[in-house]
Amino acid sequence: MSAIRVDAKVVMLGKESVGKTSLVERYVHNRFLVGPYQNTIGAAFVAKPIQIGEKVVTLGVWDTAGSERYEAMSRIYYRGARAAIVCYDLTDSSSFQRARFWVKELQNCEEHCKIYLCGTKGDLIEGDRSVRQIDYHDAQDFAEEIGAQHFETSSKTGKNVDELFYKVAEDYNNSAFQYMTEETGVDLGQKKDSYFYSCCHNN
Amino acid sequence: MTLAAGALTTQTNPLNRVLDLHRRYYYYKRTHLTSSIMSQRTERRGIHVDQSDLLCKKGCGYYGNAAWQGLCSKCWREEYQRVRQKQIQDDWALAEKLQREEDAAYASSHGAQTQPHGQSSAPHPGHASLGPFSKFEEKKTNEKTRKVTTVKKFFSPSSRTPPKKETQEGKTPSPSISRHSSFETDQVSRDFVDFLKNLQRPGREIHKQCRAFIVNMSSKKDLSAEELSECVQDFYQNMADRLMSHFKGSSESVEQVMDQVEKYIMTRLYKGVFCPETSDDERKDLATQNRIRALHWVTIQMLCVSMDEEIPEVSENVVKAITDVIEMDSKRVPRDKLACITRCSKHIFSAIRITKNEPASADDFLPALIYIVLKANPPRLQSNIQYITRFCNPSRLMTGEDGYYFTNLCCATAFIEKLDAQSLNLSPEEFERYMSGQASPRLHSSEGDWALAGSAPDATAVATTNPVLVQLNQNLELLSGLISKQERVTEAAQSLQADLLSWPQSVEREVHGVLEKYPLEVAPRTVSAIDANNVDNDNLPPPLTPQVFAG
Repeated sequence: MSAIRVDAKVVMLGKESVGKTSLVERYVHNRFLVGPYQNTIGAAFVAKPIQIGEKVVTLGVWDTAGSERYEAMSRIYYRGARAAIVCYDLTDSSSFQRARFWVKELQNCEEHCKIYLCGTKGDLIEGDRSVRQIDYHDAQDFAEEIGAQHFETSSKTGKNVDELFYKVAEDYNNSAFQYMTEETGVDLGQKKDSYFYSCCHNN
Repeated sequence: MTLAAGALTTQTNPLNRVLDLHRRYYYYKRTHLTSSIMSQRTERRGIHVDQSDLLCKKGCGYYGNAAWQGLCSKCWREEYQRVRQKQIQDDWALAEKLQREEDAAYASSHGAQTQPHGQSSAPHPGHASLGPFSKFEEKKTNEKTRKVTTVKKFFSPSSRTPPKKETQEGKTPSPSISRHSSFETDQVSRDFVDFLKNLQRPGREIHKQCRAFIVNMSSKKDLSAEELSECVQDFYQNMADRLMSHFKGSSESVEQVMDQVEKYIMTRLYKGVFCPETSDDERKDLATQNRIRALHWVTIQMLCVSMDEEIPEVSENVVKAITDVIEMDSKRVPRDKLACITRCSKHIFSAIRITKNEPASADDFLPALIYIVLKANPPRLQSNIQYITRFCNPSRLMTGEDGYYFTNLCCATAFIEKLDAQSLNLSPEEFERYMSGQASPRLHSSEGDWALAGSAPDATAVATTNPVLVQLNQNLELLSGLISKQERVTEAAQSLQADLLSWPQSVEREVHGVLEKYPLEVAPRTVSAIDANNVDNDNLPPPLTPQVFAG
């Protein structure tokens, strides 16, 4: 199979109909495209390379089923993820409660996973400010509290979508760079133990 | 009589039954028409196993076992040892051949430069044709010493420590371990060797590492599944690290080689590590299988699947998806199993896209996958999932597209295990009734009319409008035709049976009749009288007298 090689796993979390799929769709068809990408028949899994400075980072974006029906299984999804984009609907306060739930889950189970808080459907509040249910500052405070990046996006207009994914790729690139320099620093003379420092050798 | 009756009860298929009767009938006729009918009959009654059949085929006097091809445990072990040694020798011969070819290629391209290692490569010509086993041990030690030098040569521009495997490599595997050689494994070995040839010298090292690893693994069969997994994963990691330094960080080449390594190793190890006895995989398999069977009533609507199976293209994709997920069990290499899951998922995506006219999201995909798994009831599902998790190259499993679909399959399986009334939007009572088989959801659903169509007066009208019902009716007709045919065959079989039963009786009657008609009368013995009385009988020709012809 000629599947694209993927550097980092990014998992999309969020309540049903919050717009995860649209966000991914928007991202896949934007102009940051480098090289050919697979002609996806579904938006559930997409792999897309992004140019970060000198390097190309390929993000594998995993869409997840948001329905509460599958809540018990969500842990299987974000296992080993390097980044999680937790989505909430700016016009739906219940979706923000769900976002809090996922953040807590991630903090408990995947400490190496960076969290990105993402408010969706920004175009709706631009048209009518009164439909906004989640205050920007509340979300920002929450993001700071959990050490996450916070974005408000619109898949319809494309606002902040590229920025969000660029940030994810950039952070991954930086952390991977750190990770590698750290490793060579330790490496001298004891290469054979190097895999003990890798987080995923025992699946 | 008992013969015929016995034949009838053991055969289930009427056609077979008839054929069998014919065969026996003719056999019977041919061999016993003129000899004792009764004795044959008693001999054939019931199952009769001769004592000698139970004994070891080698004739050592112990009882044999069908599972060991009729040998006793001791003879079986000896036999297997022999087969396995042959396999090992063959493998070494292959490795030798590769080595020699590469040496030749290397020598021709580098002139005499390679000679400093002449000492280490000297053993080959002597062992070019592999002799008896005594030579094999010797050769093995040679291989080992040479390996150490060449490994250093290849892998250590710096003085890196050689891999830990080498210290364990000398262990001989325990005799109870057998490697099954089959066409498939041979083919994979050959492909692997061909692939490595392109890599020149590193290829030889890779092959040796893999061989050593497999031998090493076969001595560890009593480890738990998790420990085995750990061993394999460590090996992958070591191999990847070294390849990485060799290919100077070109991760694509590394991955290519790793794929081949995985294929080679796992094809060899498959039998021993798939669903091992030390784990409870098999029990889980059965539990899941029964669970899926018990959930046969779950409909596409309950799972909120956005697939419309009325559309021919969709149902075609559904069938393909089911085939793919079932096919997974037949593959040996984790990567091939993953490929099956991916193909299955792609078909599901196609089905959803055709139904909804837009790309499927995870919210559509997961329920559809659950539905497919429920419909397919893939064999040994849990074992396969465990096997992939334990022995797949982690880089593939963790991030790539295959990994995504595999994760979804895990989720689907977990969902099916935990599935309850709430997850199907049913009341607990309904769920209980369906589970216990007291009710079928089809009768209540809006599409349930076909179930009632049979009793409704306008059944034919409905049947002609709905293509599914037309198909259903056709199938019913076909079935009733088959039933009547089967009845006819059964009748024929029964009349043949009656014939056969009455036949020996009629023969017996005939024989009795003949015996009565022509009672055997023993004629008085007059033979001696003939000799005595007719000494001078004129009717007899005169005794021959020698005549002398004048020459």
